[in-house]
Amino acid sequence: MSEGVRLGVDIGGTFTDFTMVDTANGTVRVEKILTSTGAAERAVLQGVDRFREGQLDVLAGADGIIHATTLVINTILERKGARTGLITTAGFRDLLEIQREVRYDLYDLFIRLPEPIVPRRLRIGVTERVLADGSVRTPLNEAEVRQAARQLREAGVEAVAVVFLHSYRNNAHEKRAGGILAEELPGVLVSLSHQVHPEPKEYERASTTVLDAYVKRTMASYLDRLSDGLKERGYKRKLFIMLSNGGTTTADHAKAVPIQLVESGPAAGVEAASYFGRSMGIDRILSFDMGGTTAKLCIVEHGRAERARVFEVDRVKRFMAGSGLPVAVPVYDLLEIGAGGGSIARVDSLGLVQVGPDSAGAAPGPVCYGLGGLEPTVTDADLVLGYLGADSFLGGDMPLDLAAADAAVNKRLAQPTGLSVERVASGIFEIVNETMASAARQYVAEKGLAPSELTMIAFGGAGPVHALGLARKLGCPRVVVPPFPGVMSALGLLAAPVAFERSHSVKRLANATPPAELETLLRQLGEEARALLPAEASPEVLWYADMRYSGQDHALEVALTRPTVDDTAITRAVDAFVALYHDLYGKIDDDNPVEIASVRVVLTERGSTINLPKPTAIAPATAASHRRMIEADGSACDAPVYPRAALAAGQTIVGPALIEERESTTMLGRGDRMTVDASGALVIDVALPRRADEAVPRLNDKVNA
Amino acid sequence: MATKLDAVTIQILWNRLIAIVDEAATGLIRTAYTPSVKEYHDFCCALFDTSGRMLAHSTVTTAGFLGIVPEVMRNFLRKFPPQSLADGDAIITNDPWIASGHLIDISIAAPIFHRGRIVGYTLCIVHHLDMGGRMSTLASKDIYEEGLKIPILKLFEAGQLNRTIFDFITANTRVPDKILGDVRAQIVANNVCARGLKVMMDEYALDDGLEGLASEIISRTEQSLRSKIAKLPQGVYRNDVILPRIPGVDTDIKICCEMRVEGDGITVDYTGSSGEVGAAVNCCYNMTRSYTSYPFKLALDPSVPNNDGALNPITIIAPIGSIVNCRPPTATWGRTMISHLFPEIVFGAMEKVLPERVLAANGGAPANEIYLHGKHADGRSFMAISQHSGGFGGSARQDGPATLCFPNNTRNIPVEVTENESRMMYLRKELVPDSGGAGRNRGGLGQVVEYEILGGGPDGKDQVESSVRLSGRRENGNFPVSGRLGGKAGRGYGLEINDNEVDHGTSRTLNPGDRVCFRLSGGGGYGDPLERDPARVLDDVKEGRVTVEGARNDYVVVIDPATNTIDAAATAAKRKTPQAEARA
Repeated sequence: MSEGVRLGVDIGGTFTDFTMVDTANGTVRVEKILTSTGAAERAVLQGVDRFREGQLDVLAGADGIIHATTLVINTILERKGARTGLITTAGFRDLLEIQREVRYDLYDLFIRLPEPIVPRRLRIGVTERVLADGSVRTPLNEAEVRQAARQLREAGVEAVAVVFLHSYRNNAHEKRAGGILAEELPGVLVSLSHQVHPEPKEYERASTTVLDAYVKRTMASYLDRLSDGLKERGYKRKLFIMLSNGGTTTADHAKAVPIQLVESGPAAGVEAASYFGRSMGIDRILSFDMGGTTAKLCIVEHGRAERARVFEVDRVKRFMAGSGLPVAVPVYDLLEIGAGGGSIARVDSLGLVQVGPDSAGAAPGPVCYGLGGLEPTVTDADLVLGYLGADSFLGGDMPLDLAAADAAVNKRLAQPTGLSVERVASGIFEIVNETMASAARQYVAEKGLAPSELTMIAFGGAGPVHALGLARKLGCPRVVVPPFPGVMSALGLLAAPVAFERSHSVKRLANATPPAELETLLRQLGEEARALLPAEASPEVLWYADMRYSGQDHALEVALTRPTVDDTAITRAVDAFVALYHDLYGKIDDDNPVEIASVRVVLTERGSTINLPKPTAIAPATAASHRRMIEADGSACDAPVYPRAALAAGQTIVGPALIEERESTTMLGRGDRMTVDASGALVIDVALPRRADEAVPRLNDKVNA
Repeated sequence: MATKLDAVTIQILWNRLIAIVDEAATGLIRTAYTPSVKEYHDFCCALFDTSGRMLAHSTVTTAGFLGIVPEVMRNFLRKFPPQSLADGDAIITNDPWIASGHLIDISIAAPIFHRGRIVGYTLCIVHHLDMGGRMSTLASKDIYEEGLKIPILKLFEAGQLNRTIFDFITANTRVPDKILGDVRAQIVANNVCARGLKVMMDEYALDDGLEGLASEIISRTEQSLRSKIAKLPQGVYRNDVILPRIPGVDTDIKICCEMRVEGDGITVDYTGSSGEVGAAVNCCYNMTRSYTSYPFKLALDPSVPNNDGALNPITIIAPIGSIVNCRPPTATWGRTMISHLFPEIVFGAMEKVLPERVLAANGGAPANEIYLHGKHADGRSFMAISQHSGGFGGSARQDGPATLCFPNNTRNIPVEVTENESRMMYLRKELVPDSGGAGRNRGGLGQVVEYEILGGGPDGKDQVESSVRLSGRRENGNFPVSGRLGGKAGRGYGLEINDNEVDHGTSRTLNPGDRVCFRLSGGGGYGDPLERDPARVLDDVKEGRVTVEGARNDYVVVIDPATNTIDAAATAAKRKTPQAEARA
């Protein structure tokens, strides 16, 4: 991209983060603003306006704005989406509830399954039938679709998903039903399953389509208002959005199928952690990104995070695989937990303190924000415990009301439980850390790794506050807090290569695929992807084929040589596939023919070069102040507070201590030993407990609990 | 220097072993050719130490393999002791008595060689689509009718495939390409497992082998379960049942179950149960062991990962020659008609000691299974398998979820997948209101499934062979889908072809246009239905899980259908039965 500035904007449930890089010299400016609920674009525009102050042509000259958002996932987790109806092939309206009929936990007598997004009374079957070969067995009964539309309108439905059997092969009925719904239900947004996920397996397709419909209104209106606002401010280019697998798309494409953005925000965090891991030479990373609403963990090995084709949201059991709602979109394989600074603490029916998963978000927000929040949150507890400073939050731009937080914890939690305010606040801190730790243990173990092998990179506004507590629980020996941790995902948007992907299903035997047809298809896909980019861009272009033995489902990615496809290119691809197959699975003499499942074109633009400010202090900083802080054992201490900007490279600080910067605070517990890296990153050796009995957490006696 | 096995290291390595077998399962799924593996997940991958003790099984598996897997490995080692094994060997069998109780499951194991010696074994069992013989029927009188039996043989010798075995399978089965494809996937699973173990042993410098770790894992698991058993009241608890009529069997089948809690162990004694029968429902001991041990793990110690240690505290007495420990050459294809009932029968005995930790009956046990066989339009043979579940039983804590598999644990095969694999079309697959057994906690809803045969072959007129096996459990027959602690039975059972009721479990030749319809019962309820909060009954009515009539008849809650509200006065008056009075 040409000289100028580029903007990264990461909108979270609580804060919207901004980074701006001057592409001429790599200097970076950052901002952090409260997310405005109901109209999330306001915070984005407000932040953009701050950058414009004194630099009026920032937007007019901007090369690009790349945006990541957690709006989709938060809408689902908080069940704040549209009232959604489902129209299916008659006889199959219960497929959302029947699911896959399997127990995700073989040993749980009291197993619970995820609650369908659409209740039974809003699921309607209509007469129509397409067969597996795509032929029409029974034409669509249009009168029944109109009747269903009226029934849904009376029920006050705001969005409708349409899922007909085999629509991935013949979408005529779904399209027609979509047309009828547009006539009958003006203003109601419709998601058609063949547009969301044109692949077989009706439950997974239906689940994805229903979730797409559920979030569509929120996303479409948000992206429209945002694009308009940017245009008014002189921005001339396209608004780019990060997809769930680190790829990029435009706002217009994102709007059509918003469920693709389900992990957009976390993907930006993964990009950022990968970038830092690469630049610091760390091989095995546990990326830990804790914001106001959720915490995200992802393993990045050798600079790359694994990708998955199906993601699960809203798992009902401890984030156990299979216990959530499936979303069939390409994603980074990460773990997301409903635990953030805004997670609300309550006393439950058993008289016990529970934390989350619902969040106070930005509005009303934690009590201490003084924006009308009445229910105490994790952030309120962090403030009461002294981990956050009432006068130093957002560099003092946003004073926190300690007295109000204290009073709320007292009234709503301490009094009903008969505990002290500090005890309850410690409990909230502990519970939220334990929630994250137990999910993380399982996630790490599923990958066959141990936390002791991983370096945690901690970021997000609440990440550095909770990182040491979490690392201690997990047994992670080292934590790194990069510069600008509070806006790191937004930085990832700028630093990461920008990738545009287009793929198409092929499903033909390799030796029966005419090379010329394949080449034409690849060129078409390339042009589609190219159209997303500015004319002067000169992206790197890569071609891939996903291949498998005919009859298998899972395919392996093989690079195709450009710029032409001929017989030898296909033969080389088959040979490469067989070699990769043998590497992965051992030498299996499979005599089945090899099939090309799909082809994909990836256009990549290099990320911006970023020069983060390095430590400039010559002498080691001394504490700027001291603050009363409650330690893990419940005792109070007078912890030294250091402004991060004053730290010198090589300086060592041993906890308890607090390192404050504008967007976040790093809380060092007793014995944690922090050294300031030359890059400005804080590298912390975690004081790990030596407890022999902690070893067998899975032996916990749940039976008699 | 060898790694010291402290409490932290044991936990890390234990998790790692489970991750290794899970990766093996992923390799299996990714390279498999049939929905039986890819979707149905009827398989087990497991890892053993050098003495054949099972250390971990894949998280995705079905309960039927849990007790089988250790036996298979030990049987393999009896035939091929370590000194007879070379690197690159693989051992195969489908003998029901050596392995998993019916011919259609193939077991393949391999020694794991590391630095020149055997450090462990890997095993993968898969339920295949076909093994020849009479197709998917309870009517077989002996094992010879049921298909090809593969004795314990080396499928690979030092990396060389024994093609003769593949040739026999090809010559004896209906869709050999698919079956051999899945056999290859089993070899992949073993390769992935072996590689994972070797990496772990290098990384943690386990130079002395796995035995130390194995003993720790197994003894901790065993002690954990024993400590739970020791807290139970000592005593003898019985549950004898007469099963529903099985097609082709003239006599009643009786299962006698005596559960003896003795110190920190439990004995389940099936003495008195019926003898072998001349139909394909006989259970080999291994299968009886799986489903008899499973409910104890489920009820007493669910959070500790499963391995050999969880089997040791449970002693099973199963008289040889009875239906729960049959001898060759009895027929065994549909052995789950018996074995899938053991958890429920054990729960029946356990109900008296642990009422809070037993489930009401599952509406889909014994599991449904559908087979289809015919020709595609291009003349290729197809073989398809499918399964649908009944409602889950209510329990002390909650209503049973709708349509959830128990006690086996296989996923349904999506409608779209089965329609792509065969010549049939589903007409409906829907929940059935009022099918969940009434109770303080309701049983989960069952479902109705209907499909139509499409013509196969080039002219689109070919017939299709199909069989549907069901539970045989009717509400008013022997052994209904019972509730517990006052809960009522689940409802809805039957099989019809073109609206005529027929017997389940036999293969039939169907014509294009023939319709097959069957119902899978809801789960049993838990606790007295009159104790159910009327507000929860109203919720069920609003959601269409219970009808207005069902609310009145089963729960004595009167709901005005016009307003969807509870008629409080009428409900109170009606609920004032002598029974309710006595409780209050």
